[in-house]
Amino acid sequence: MSASNKAARWIGEIVMVLLSLVFLYPLFLAIFNSFKSFQEVMSDVIALPHHWTFANYSYVWKFINYPRLFLNNTIITVLGLAGIVLVSSIAAYKLARTKSRLSGIVYFICIMPMLIPFQSIMLTVLKTARFLHLSDSTWGLGLLYWGFGAPLAVFIYHGFVKGIPRELDESAMIDGASGFGLFFRIIFPLLKSVTATIVIIDVMWIWNDFLLPLLMVNGSPTTKTLTLAAYTFVGQYTSDWQYAMTAMVMAVLPSIVVFMFLQKYIVKGVVAGAVKG
Amino acid sequence: MASFYRKWRSKMEFGLFTLPVLICVAVAFYIPFVMTVRYSLTKWNGISKHPKFIGLDNFKQIFTGDANFTNAAWFTVKYAVLYIVLINVLAILLALVLDAKLKTKTWLRAAFFIPYILSLVIVGFIWKFIFMQGFESLGDSTGWHIFKMSWLGEPGLAFISVLFVSIWQSIGFYLVIYIAGLQSVPGDLKEAAVVDGAGPVRRFFSVTLPLLAPSITIAVFMALTNSIKVFDVILSLTGGGPGGTTYSIAYDIYRDTFTNNLYGYGTAKALILFVAVLIITVIQLTIFKRREVEA
Repeated sequence: MSASNKAARWIGEIVMVLLSLVFLYPLFLAIFNSFKSFQEVMSDVIALPHHWTFANYSYVWKFINYPRLFLNNTIITVLGLAGIVLVSSIAAYKLARTKSRLSGIVYFICIMPMLIPFQSIMLTVLKTARFLHLSDSTWGLGLLYWGFGAPLAVFIYHGFVKGIPRELDESAMIDGASGFGLFFRIIFPLLKSVTATIVIIDVMWIWNDFLLPLLMVNGSPTTKTLTLAAYTFVGQYTSDWQYAMTAMVMAVLPSIVVFMFLQKYIVKGVVAGAVKG
Repeated sequence: MASFYRKWRSKMEFGLFTLPVLICVAVAFYIPFVMTVRYSLTKWNGISKHPKFIGLDNFKQIFTGDANFTNAAWFTVKYAVLYIVLINVLAILLALVLDAKLKTKTWLRAAFFIPYILSLVIVGFIWKFIFMQGFESLGDSTGWHIFKMSWLGEPGLAFISVLFVSIWQSIGFYLVIYIAGLQSVPGDLKEAAVVDGAGPVRRFFSVTLPLLAPSITIAVFMALTNSIKVFDVILSLTGGGPGGTTYSIAYDIYRDTFTNNLYGYGTAKALILFVAVLIITVIQLTIFKRREVEA
């Protein structure tokens, strides 16, 4: 490699890194301003904080009851995810293994809702949930995600199970395994990689979801999610940007921390989900 | 008798495995959907016990005399077209750069991906802060005119802001799809093109781009389905303003049902959105199926 070529490569590298820093600049600004006092935010937004203060954090932490919100988000996400994986994997397995007209119809019924935009049914989802006493509760919201997440999950699992040789089921049956036992002991472990894909896509979706939680659990401070609380908080503190930015940072921090540790898997999962989905 | 038993047993098992998912999608989609169809034929404020049946009047009114809906539909179409074109072009360009052997590749990919893991509502708020407070400071210290424009206060500029923030949030997603696509382009094909004397531009258009077709199909499909439903980012960034110029169809439905209490009317609009999405998806699937290049 010639010297000028090498120099060009270095310049390209530096330009790209600078570009990425400019790209992320809004996030840096949000973080810096969350450590400033009200006067400092007002006098100069782009400067670094002169006096780093955690006062905003302790105020917002208490005001929105952060631990409670974090727990709510966790309950909704974990419950939703567990159900989506369980319900969709068993169904997709059976549907992929059964060759009949009924099976084809059921499969179609399962994946067809991917075409229904959520806004088309948001009002009536709320009514249905009220009727079933699933509204105004974090557990109820978690349960609802089972249905919303199922179409994509069934679709992805179905495609994958078709690639697992049928002989595996048959030899397990000869050994006396059947039904759920066969599925959970023999098949489910083989679905590890697709399950990981589904978990990644769905965690990002449920953790950050806004409209469904807004309709379902916005009524009481004890059932709110992180994003919802940040949303309401900003509505109340329209000019107190230092608090607003703190609430924003606190709402997105868990996602960013998780992303830093699992970056490789998350990117891989998202690509796999898009390619299969 | 034994065969009857076996058949019965396998039917039972089929039901046991598939019934849970059927119940779940029924509750989440089918029951609400049937109710949507029913309410779309009524006049109802959401409070009274008995919605009044009015046939297709809602639809007639939407298509003949609803300026809000026409504006929102026009906004959504403009937004979707520009979003799909811009995000795919930008993501392909960026992917070509990041596919080169850069030392900082891992950092760069992560950096461009980060906004995608954040909630859109929050992204909207952060940018609102940047547009309102950050740009003021930046304008004072640089003197550049671009920072002194009213990015959320003028209709044309607010449209660009919504588009820009959406692209900023999601470009990382399209970027990683294209990077994955580029990595599956066989190196010997590119080498063969070099031997044949093709320059980098020619190489891109005759070798790389056709082989990227499957990735483009996926990316355009995702961009279309996402952009036609745009909602969250508008809610927090402009709130539909200035002067109601940045309402999308989804946001217009939300306004009618939850702000104006026009439940029957809103669900009629929701049904139109569904049909539009359905038609577009079917058209898109048939076009792309025909055009994909076998690699």
